[in-house]
Amino acid sequence: MKKVIAVLSLFLVLFLAACNNSSGANANGDSDANGPVEIEFWHAMSGPHEEAIKKFADDFNSAHEDITIKPVNQGSYDDLQQKIMAAAKAGNLPDMAQATTNVIPEYIDNKFITSLNDFIEDPEIGLSEDELNDYIEVFRDSSTWDDTYYSLPFSKSTRVLYYNQTLLEENGLEVPKTWDELQEVAKTVTKDGVVGMGFENSYEAEFQGILKQMGGTYMDEETGEPQFASKEGQEAMTFIKDMIDDGIARTAGEDEYMSNPFGRGDVAMYIGSSAGIPHVDGAMEDGIEWSTAPIPTLDGQAATTFAGNDVVIFNQSEEAEQKAAWEFMKYLTSPEVTSEWSMLSGYLPIRQSALDTEEYQTFLEENPAYKAGTEQFDAGFFIARVPGGDAVRNIVLEEMDYILQGMKSVEEGLTEAQDRAKAELQ
Amino acid sequence: MQKPTWKSTLKGYLYLLPALLILIVFSIYPIIKSFLMSFYTDYDFFNDTVNAYGFENFTKLFQDPNFITALKNTGIFVIGVVPLSIIISLAIAVLLNSKIKLSGFFRTIYFLPFVTSVVAVAIVWSWIFHSDYGLLNYALGLFGIDPINWLTNPTYAMPALIILSIWKGLGFNIIIFLAGLQNIGNQYYLAAKVDGASAWYRFKHITLPLLSPTMFFVSIISIINAFKVFDEIFALFNGRPGPANSALTVVYYVYQKFYEEWEFGLASAAAFVLFIIIFLFTIIQLIVGKKFVHYN
Repeated sequence: MKKVIAVLSLFLVLFLAACNNSSGANANGDSDANGPVEIEFWHAMSGPHEEAIKKFADDFNSAHEDITIKPVNQGSYDDLQQKIMAAAKAGNLPDMAQATTNVIPEYIDNKFITSLNDFIEDPEIGLSEDELNDYIEVFRDSSTWDDTYYSLPFSKSTRVLYYNQTLLEENGLEVPKTWDELQEVAKTVTKDGVVGMGFENSYEAEFQGILKQMGGTYMDEETGEPQFASKEGQEAMTFIKDMIDDGIARTAGEDEYMSNPFGRGDVAMYIGSSAGIPHVDGAMEDGIEWSTAPIPTLDGQAATTFAGNDVVIFNQSEEAEQKAAWEFMKYLTSPEVTSEWSMLSGYLPIRQSALDTEEYQTFLEENPAYKAGTEQFDAGFFIARVPGGDAVRNIVLEEMDYILQGMKSVEEGLTEAQDRAKAELQ
Repeated sequence: MQKPTWKSTLKGYLYLLPALLILIVFSIYPIIKSFLMSFYTDYDFFNDTVNAYGFENFTKLFQDPNFITALKNTGIFVIGVVPLSIIISLAIAVLLNSKIKLSGFFRTIYFLPFVTSVVAVAIVWSWIFHSDYGLLNYALGLFGIDPINWLTNPTYAMPALIILSIWKGLGFNIIIFLAGLQNIGNQYYLAAKVDGASAWYRFKHITLPLLSPTMFFVSIISIINAFKVFDEIFALFNGRPGPANSALTVVYYVYQKFYEEWEFGLASAAAFVLFIIIFLFTIIQLIVGKKFVHYN
């Protein structure tokens, strides 16, 4: 009997010790007084993208004896976001992380993100004015809230038009430059089980682009007021819906990502993220030539959304750790690394000087698919970044689904989405 | 029976302690906490400060058309899955219980889906359901039925989910039923045979009544599980609640509100409403069960 009680109490002690231990690990990444500072970097990159990140971390670690970067893949963007939320609650945040631009307002609101101005303006470890201005303007803008930097751009993508060159050539067609041309091309090639045009399941970016080309506004950046149910909004939505109803376009649907049906040759063209290039490359069946082009224009207007991820530093770490994280952040966004990153991943280089290097230009000559993305900087815009942006996105996708399924008219659906979005943002 | 003394009681609790600790930390504390959270109306989640309590979350919940959709869909799912699943698994269990060749082999086969990860299962089924390349539409095509958009048409998304869930749950129910069937003494069947009872008659008047405790257990567990459906939806529809919310269930709603939209109070309120619903159903079952369940 005594033995059993002894075993049980041993178990209890171990259990309590384990509890104690995990709370002691709170200030994660803290290190011995002499050892290097260990920085945990959470990201959502997998496959070829993750390999690239590991390489950057290794290069950085061997150049910095006093800092060790530990990249941790947390799954999808949603997984990453959910883990950050849970970690923030538990006081267990990593030192730095990748973060989708539209979730950063929540981080700011809940005060667990570090403002970067002090780092940037620091004469010793900061960025000079020239360096800062070297970051491409549209990305600089999307990293500041009320003139305060909360992030630096990292994995930024834009939308590009993927096309099946073999199929277009067989039909004697040119790559469409305007939406009218695109509709013509889609009509011609839609036959024998091939659908002309494709949209990703979350095609709100295309809706936002066409809306902008028509002269409308999705959401007012100043007031954060959604305005997409306007006349232009309804026209933009009708435009997409008509193509799908006519059978010349489809969404990815059960195929999850458009790269799958496009790779099989079931779809002749589709609009997707420029970061999808390595994935499309992997999905392509032999014998199909493909490339990308800029998003079609409407009445001479070019417009496309820029999206993607920034890198942020959290304020639950100690100062020395935040400083070390800042060093790695500077490294990740340096011209050399961002151009290499772009060549490996299909994300855009985020520094002007990286774009201008001979190495990068040669790369574009050899890999024309990567070119379309970089040609669109002037047409690029980003969607208003407000707290609750993710909830609004859910609402818009949901109502668009009702519209496409014919369960609501375009006007009903968009108006309802706008009303719900307004209520959500209040 | 010994009389309980302080010493024996204490000893008993000591034995229970490890399990209790885990239960309290991982089940009871979260239940109480989320119950309290459902009354938070003005709060800072990350710093644990609450400025105001109230019933707003509950009124907001029942005004949200999505929550009503979620309740409806969950109801349809429970009605679609539980009875069919019980009938099919009982039939298979009776077959496996009779003396047939390779019954051990078939028992393993039927149990496989239960031990396979939901995500893997759902991915395989999303191939089977694929409208252009799927096996199911191919099979239906042999009978001249046009391809069905199982996963992208709101009308068929729920049936697709129900089919997957029934298939997935069969193994567990079959094993429980088999255990119940083997507990029924052979003497009843022999006696019935002597009296000239037909197979159907023996099933109705011996198997079913004597199996009622098992049936009772299976139906309670199945209903609770069906109310809590989430993983299958998440994996089958790629992280969306089906086309046009056609597979939005209450737990999916909770997930959306909590993890995607950071509406912690609302999510807790929805979880609490689900708890009340399941609680009521279980009580009804217990009351009804008393009438029909025979413990021999």
